[in-house]
Amino acid sequence: MFPLGLLKQFSRFSIGSIINTQVNTKNINTFAALQFKITDQLWAEPLKKKKKMDPAILKAREERRRKKLEKQIRRLEKNARQLKPIAELEPPLHLLDEKGRRKRAVVVLSAEEIEARALLNKDWCRYKRQEYMNNIAQIDRIMAAQKRALEKLYEESEDLYYEAIMPDLALIPYSIDGTYETPPINNYDSPDGEYIDVSKKWGN
Amino acid sequence: MFIRKVFYDGMYKCLNISSRAQSSWNIVTGICVERLPVVTPPLNEIQKKFKDYLSAREFENSLKSDHELRQENDLRQAELLKKEGVDVDTEAVSKVTAQDFEDAANEELAKFQFASIETEADRSGDKSTHDRCLQRHLVLVTEQKLGTDIKSLLPQGLWREGETLRQSAERVLVEQCGTKIKVKFLSNAPCGFYKYKYPSEIDGKVGAKVFFYYANYDGGVLEKATNYNWLTRKELKDILPERYNKSVQSFLIQETY
Repeated sequence: MFPLGLLKQFSRFSIGSIINTQVNTKNINTFAALQFKITDQLWAEPLKKKKKMDPAILKAREERRRKKLEKQIRRLEKNARQLKPIAELEPPLHLLDEKGRRKRAVVVLSAEEIEARALLNKDWCRYKRQEYMNNIAQIDRIMAAQKRALEKLYEESEDLYYEAIMPDLALIPYSIDGTYETPPINNYDSPDGEYIDVSKKWGN
Repeated sequence: MFIRKVFYDGMYKCLNISSRAQSSWNIVTGICVERLPVVTPPLNEIQKKFKDYLSAREFENSLKSDHELRQENDLRQAELLKKEGVDVDTEAVSKVTAQDFEDAANEELAKFQFASIETEADRSGDKSTHDRCLQRHLVLVTEQKLGTDIKSLLPQGLWREGETLRQSAERVLVEQCGTKIKVKFLSNAPCGFYKYKYPSEIDGKVGAKVFFYYANYDGGVLEKATNYNWLTRKELKDILPERYNKSVQSFLIQETY
């Protein structure tokens, strides 16, 4: 501004008219955002200053943690060498003490009885062998029947044969309820007993 | 030599395929639904004898139980009571003795009624329920229309193009016995085979080849079949045609009693 005013002041000394004095001096512009600024978002709380801990306490805490871990490791190592005890393997002490009282009077068998028992054992042996042979024969017969069926199927259609010899994976695992001594009673309401879980906990 | 072998092999295969292409047999699947025994079969002579022998041995080699010790103790207390009169401690005597406990247990056992092996159907001679002959294997037999006559056979049906024999067996069973019967097929492979000729050719087919599938009965009821029976081995022999019975029994377990 100043130099322009000065120019005007001295313009009459100049020979030529100053053409370039027509300069707009007003400082107006059309940029809207120039004056109206939005401040930054400050949604979060300013961070707290971290509390300084006593180094001694920190050290003690660290120590305690390490000791605890070491103890656990030691316990694990000890357990690795030592197998879990099976309660059934050791007879209860009170039973060992009463062993003498619990003995039955020895039965003296007559010579005929001993002979009869020996004969029965032999008979049983023969019977079981025959039973076993019969079972084998039955299995052979059933397998032969299936083999024949598959052969006939192969003659009829190769595709069906190959479908038939595919394993049936839905059968694995297979479970079946066996035969019982007495038939089940219909609509039997089984009396509730008390359920006490006596299995021991072995935490590692 | 090699060429000759290849040639013959090829020829053989061609022959085979051509014989398959114009197979003049219908493929039929039959389903053998078997109810396994519910109750163990009765023991025979030697089994009974050996069982008694084993339990005798077991008893001789055993030690006395807590209950037996208690009983002996009771007896000793009673003796003492008799000898010394009233002034033994009455506390030990007035409690429930082991004998009392045993009597009570026996009484409870006597009260309990085990189910009878002989069912309602056994008494009435009804063969149409699987709840009979609990100690034996039972096979489902339905009435099948073959041409003009009706025969009691295992459920069977024609195989359809595009399904495996196993699928065919499952479909036929549903068609004839409904969806409520539950069975467990034990294999993808047929377990038995039977072939029979039609009296006269039907649609260029001279007969049917029946492939049997074995399944175990697993509960549920039959729905659609009208005339069906659950039969033991012996009854099967009586009711099935002789040759058919032979091929059915060839893949069934023979009962020993």
